[in-house]
Amino acid sequence: MSHFLDRLLFFRKNVDSFSNGHGVVTNEDRSWEDAYRNRWAHDRIVRSTHGANCTGSCSWKIYVKGGIVTWETQQTDYPRTRPDLPNHEPRGCSRGASYSWYLYSANRLKYPMVRGRLIRMWRSAKVQHKDPVLAWASIVEDPAKTQSYKAIRGRGGFVRSTWDEVNEIIGAANVYTAKSYGPDRIIGFSPIPAMSMVSYAAGSRYLSLIGGVCMSFYDWYCDLPPSSPQTWGEQTDVPESADWYNSNFLMLWGSNVPQTRTPDAHFMTEVRYKGAKVVVVTPDYSEASKFADVWLAPKQGTDAAMAMAMGHVILKEFHADKTVPYFADYCRQYTDMPHLVRLVQRDGRYVADRLVRASDFADKLDQANNPDWKTVCIDENTGKIVPPQGSIGFRWGEQGKWNLEEKAADGAAIKPRLSLIDARDDVVPVGFPYFGGQTHEHFPHSPHPDVLMRNVPVKKLQLADGETLVATVYDLFMANYGVDRGLGGENIARSYDDDAPYTPAWQEKITGVPRERVIATARAFADNAAQTNGKSMVILGAAVNHWYHGDMIYRGIINLLVMCGCVGQSGGGWSHYVGQEKLRPQTGWTPLAFALDWVRPPRQQNSTSFFYAHTSQWRHETLGVEEILSPTADKTSMQGSLIDFNVRAERMGWLPSAPQLEVNPLQVTRDAAKAGEEPGPYLVKQLKSGGIKLSCTDPDNPKNFPRNMFVWRSNLLGSSGKGHEYFLKYMLGAQHGVQGKDLGVEGRAKPQEVVWHEHGAEGKLDLLVTIDFRMSTTCMYSDIVLPTATWYEKHDLNTSDMHPFIHPLSAAVDPAWQARSDWEIFKGIAKAFSAAAPGHLGVEKDLVLNPSMHDSPGELGQPFAVKDWTKGECDPIPGKTMPSLTVVERDYPNTYKRFTALGPLMTRIGNGGKGISWKTEDEVRFLGELNGTVAEEGPTKGLPRIDSDIDAAEVILTLAPETNGHVAVKAWQALGKATGIDHTHLALPREDDKIRFRDVQAQPRKIISSPTWSGLESEKVSYTASYTNVHELIPWRTLTGRQQLYQDHPWMLAFGEGLCVYRPPIDTKATTPMLGKRSNGNKEIALNFITPHQKWGIHSTYTDNLMMLTLSRGGPIVWLSEIDAQSIGIEDNDWIEAFNLNGALVARAVVSQRVPKGMVLMYHAQEKIVNVPGSEITHARGGIHNSVTRACLKPTHMIGGYAQQSYGFNYHGTIGTNRDEFVIVRKMAKVDWLDGPARDIPAAAE
Amino acid sequence: MRTLKALAALMAYPEAATIEALPEIRYVLETERVLDPTRCAAVGRLIRELEVDDLLDVQERYVGLFDRTRTLSLHLFEHVHGDGRERGPAMVELAKTYLDHGLMIAGNELPDYLPLFLEYLSVVDRAEAKQLLGEVAHITQALRDRLLKRGSAYAALFDALLALADHLPAPAPVTEDVDPDDFAAIDRAWEDAEVLFGPAAAPQGAGAADGCGKAAEILRRMHTT
Repeated sequence: MSHFLDRLLFFRKNVDSFSNGHGVVTNEDRSWEDAYRNRWAHDRIVRSTHGANCTGSCSWKIYVKGGIVTWETQQTDYPRTRPDLPNHEPRGCSRGASYSWYLYSANRLKYPMVRGRLIRMWRSAKVQHKDPVLAWASIVEDPAKTQSYKAIRGRGGFVRSTWDEVNEIIGAANVYTAKSYGPDRIIGFSPIPAMSMVSYAAGSRYLSLIGGVCMSFYDWYCDLPPSSPQTWGEQTDVPESADWYNSNFLMLWGSNVPQTRTPDAHFMTEVRYKGAKVVVVTPDYSEASKFADVWLAPKQGTDAAMAMAMGHVILKEFHADKTVPYFADYCRQYTDMPHLVRLVQRDGRYVADRLVRASDFADKLDQANNPDWKTVCIDENTGKIVPPQGSIGFRWGEQGKWNLEEKAADGAAIKPRLSLIDARDDVVPVGFPYFGGQTHEHFPHSPHPDVLMRNVPVKKLQLADGETLVATVYDLFMANYGVDRGLGGENIARSYDDDAPYTPAWQEKITGVPRERVIATARAFADNAAQTNGKSMVILGAAVNHWYHGDMIYRGIINLLVMCGCVGQSGGGWSHYVGQEKLRPQTGWTPLAFALDWVRPPRQQNSTSFFYAHTSQWRHETLGVEEILSPTADKTSMQGSLIDFNVRAERMGWLPSAPQLEVNPLQVTRDAAKAGEEPGPYLVKQLKSGGIKLSCTDPDNPKNFPRNMFVWRSNLLGSSGKGHEYFLKYMLGAQHGVQGKDLGVEGRAKPQEVVWHEHGAEGKLDLLVTIDFRMSTTCMYSDIVLPTATWYEKHDLNTSDMHPFIHPLSAAVDPAWQARSDWEIFKGIAKAFSAAAPGHLGVEKDLVLNPSMHDSPGELGQPFAVKDWTKGECDPIPGKTMPSLTVVERDYPNTYKRFTALGPLMTRIGNGGKGISWKTEDEVRFLGELNGTVAEEGPTKGLPRIDSDIDAAEVILTLAPETNGHVAVKAWQALGKATGIDHTHLALPREDDKIRFRDVQAQPRKIISSPTWSGLESEKVSYTASYTNVHELIPWRTLTGRQQLYQDHPWMLAFGEGLCVYRPPIDTKATTPMLGKRSNGNKEIALNFITPHQKWGIHSTYTDNLMMLTLSRGGPIVWLSEIDAQSIGIEDNDWIEAFNLNGALVARAVVSQRVPKGMVLMYHAQEKIVNVPGSEITHARGGIHNSVTRACLKPTHMIGGYAQQSYGFNYHGTIGTNRDEFVIVRKMAKVDWLDGPARDIPAAAE
Repeated sequence: MRTLKALAALMAYPEAATIEALPEIRYVLETERVLDPTRCAAVGRLIRELEVDDLLDVQERYVGLFDRTRTLSLHLFEHVHGDGRERGPAMVELAKTYLDHGLMIAGNELPDYLPLFLEYLSVVDRAEAKQLLGEVAHITQALRDRLLKRGSAYAALFDALLALADHLPAPAPVTEDVDPDDFAAIDRAWEDAEVLFGPAAAPQGAGAADGCGKAAEILRRMHTT
């Protein structure tokens, strides 16, 4: 039978199976699925991102229904990459995915809040004084009242207020402060503008209009690697993460890519499938280590020793024993290696001194323009001494010769001679400082003479001041590494097994890494670079950057990359991802952010020096300058303490200074007018006679206090408060945990340049205002806390150096409760300020002191010896030997109007950045049409409006070359004038591209190549740093115009860092005085305190997120090794305390094999506000990781007015190092949650 | 029930306007008489406190309790969904309920804000209000207990809400409020179950006899092919 009639012909059954029984069709009730269907039924989907300071800039879809955010998922519509490259998405990590919680969290800040005690005084003062400025004066001029509200900072007591009320208080306080002390007593701190640049600009625009001070973050966070400005004249420029995929040999050096660069890590894992080798260098078994083909684990902080040994191997095998033409050509054209260095006699031996300049020759080598700033080399073809084009002398005062073509100043083709070994007049022993023999209680050393004599081939030159021996940087460099080049002499290595600095055997003693691994890694690294023309890359991070001598670790690594020609090549180079910011449309943003459309220059301050001075960390300094000076230094000229060096740098115009003068700068101009003099010459005279003093010489004098401070987008006192307890004690006058005594009590040497007061000033700030969306540690200590819009409640822009796209933050929903966007908040404050000003401040003349700035003619300061005008060594010449002086007109009652309109200077002067400038009339006209113009009468009538946050974003996008093709072409033209090379081909294909805010909301947009950056965005290459230097022959912004491996500033030489050397961590001396002195009965051990970035948070953001708390241990934790734990009887999960002279913290112990003996890991920025019991040492709430740290300045970072070593905001300056610190660790005897009533601090009588 | 409106007003941030309205609030409570005398008196003690104490002190206390303490959050879903993804959809659902009654949320408050919810209940009929109060009773109960532990007069408001609910179920456990002085309890709250691997691990469903089911399956296939 055929069963024909059994088969259905016109129907089929609706209960069936398919796919070989893997699927079934049923007809059961499926209404339960509606819940899921509804979940995905939204009113709209909005693109935004998380402006956390990871700068991941990941695209997210925000689902909104009924005005409520219900969901978020990763966006997957990034523009495609090239066919041979993986795409960027999905970007976003599990931390980001838990973000929407913050919107509706119980921890969200919902209302403007003021501490009850302060608002009570304010309200009663307002009853007595109608004028808010007088009301504020009546509070802060009464010591009993200020003491009353300052002492309870950090101890709760907030009440809700209204926007009108808080704005009035803030406006009045700012007016009072500017009037009574000077506008430079009003300080603002906000980090990483790239993560939400309009929000940053809101506060900085307000501050810049009134003459307040914007604080740097990058150096303070210790994320700035000083070696980058030193070597390249660039803050930091790095490859986008996609370029990792173009590499064939990746080293992850102190960078935990999968954990801290989660959305980018896939490029690293993917390129392994293409055959790339991955070497990971970390002392602990990190997340990254498991991706390693080779894992090297040097003792923490000794990485420079390993880098030097790798350099030794590479120089020996790829430079000395054979010539790799690519390496030699690269070093000749792109580095300072062929440039000549003077050798001088000191203490009976030759040492390397400064680079030879054209002005050293009697005829100045025919250079009329800047001969002091033109370095020289020997032309191999003719044997003549020539000043090659491209050095910094060609950058200023003339045009067309600032380039890297191999030409002399007269245009003749040259071939710079790298080594004098075959053209030498003599071989002489030269002394090189050696620090590896210094002993340290916790780090191994390798004894050798502190000055290593090594033979160097030299030439004798007849210079204007007599016969002088000179050597090339290359020959000094080879000698410094101890490479045997057949020149004989001491301290060179015949074999890698010799214990001579810097052989693989030598480093083994210090780092603990087997020499064979170092040799094999170095060889493979260089071999790959030789075969691929430089596709070896080092990704390096905070683990190596945060050391006091981190610049030595960095320079050790940079040297490896440069000697192998990797920098500036796709797939190669230096990839520093630490607090990295790349505000891609930077030159469009700076006018908005620093109000350059109204007033120039702005006041910008390097935070590390500022906080070191104003939180009185200098009063507790333990590091003596003599401990870090080079054995070859002239010690008599380098005396004093660290703050003395900083003060010298400030008054010589090297570093900025805030507050600037003991006298109100508004008063100085009035006094000058009264004396019938110009303000500048008047001040110079007053400074010289001592009539007016610089504030930096007396930070404890109330005249010099910073008075008002804004903190926004930051947890300054918590995650970023190096020396947290010093902040509490000195700047805030609050309860603190400082354990050490100051220099006075200890009877140690006092600074020479700074006035010593027996009692350090406490409670310097009159008003601390913090703007945040959550109650951070900083908020807890603030007087006023303002609720800001979150990342789904405001319009803003976000860029990253990890990818080339510009990305929006979008207001998916209105700000919840009474929150407002940062833009609206500062607009409100500006309005209140303007209203409070009349009667106190009108149109005023403000005298602004600025340091000699990088990328300006000011960077040609003192070319040779350092001369100090206060010691009579030279005259005070503004902009040359002291800060530059500019009179700026401020229209205080019109601050709000100026804030909300694009000012006239954009048309009158134009725009620019990094040393070039162009006209902007077209863009200003366009903005007037786009944003509309101001209609109301007044000083801003007819100017383009900047009313909303989108208006502000359009200003940035229109003015920036990266987002406006016309501007990009103009910018490249401007650069072409300096280089004499036409670069416009880099932007012409995109000349008509104009990226608008709505465009980036539709899809992230790739930026347009611009001369602001050294990489290109094109269809052919991924963004990588120094690409245009190598391929477009644009000089690096350094003294020689090349990659500067030899640092010849007198201070660099005095501290022994002319060339890279290994330096052991410094001794902070913070544990020994306390070890065993405050016993709780448990055993104690001193361990190195390391604070890497965490898995369950991004900085302090997310660490109070319940999901992240659940995934970790729900509170503060410290990791330690099994060996150390056992030695003091600690078991996993025990409560432990870590303390030293700086303070104390408590946490749970995580005992893990991951951690090597001798150190603890405490993940950065676990908030003090979550599950932290009391400390047995301080008897206060158990602190945050910064409770045991203290900033310590390094003088070489203070150098200024010297080519690449000139000041730039967030570019160069002292850094807040923290890795050299040790803590005493012990098990707690009693855990006290301090839940009893707080000890009452009496309020002032009203 | 205007009593619910009165309780909502007391539960919201104490402003000068609240203090002025205290007689009116007291009048509603005393005339509507939906609360028993003991509970009415307890609420009266809170009203008295608000009347007598300095407003800034009252506000400082309020912020310390309800703005700064997560476990005392006045947003209902904080206690049910916490950081969970269900929180958004749940709020959307609640807002829709209000909308069905012709009520739109006026300010920038969230739909699950308890005083707002109470205001809604004050305009629906009594039976429905009592039933809905029953549905959130496990939260009001927890809040009452936590406030009692802190000796706060605000506990009276939540006790009153419990009394007005028509049933007292505890549909879902709310997040635990661990006594900070009880170290053993803290340890328990923080403790994770030990994770075991390999055949010795605890059974986890099918194929568990050999430890991890997935691994056993992979092994089986390796042996058969």
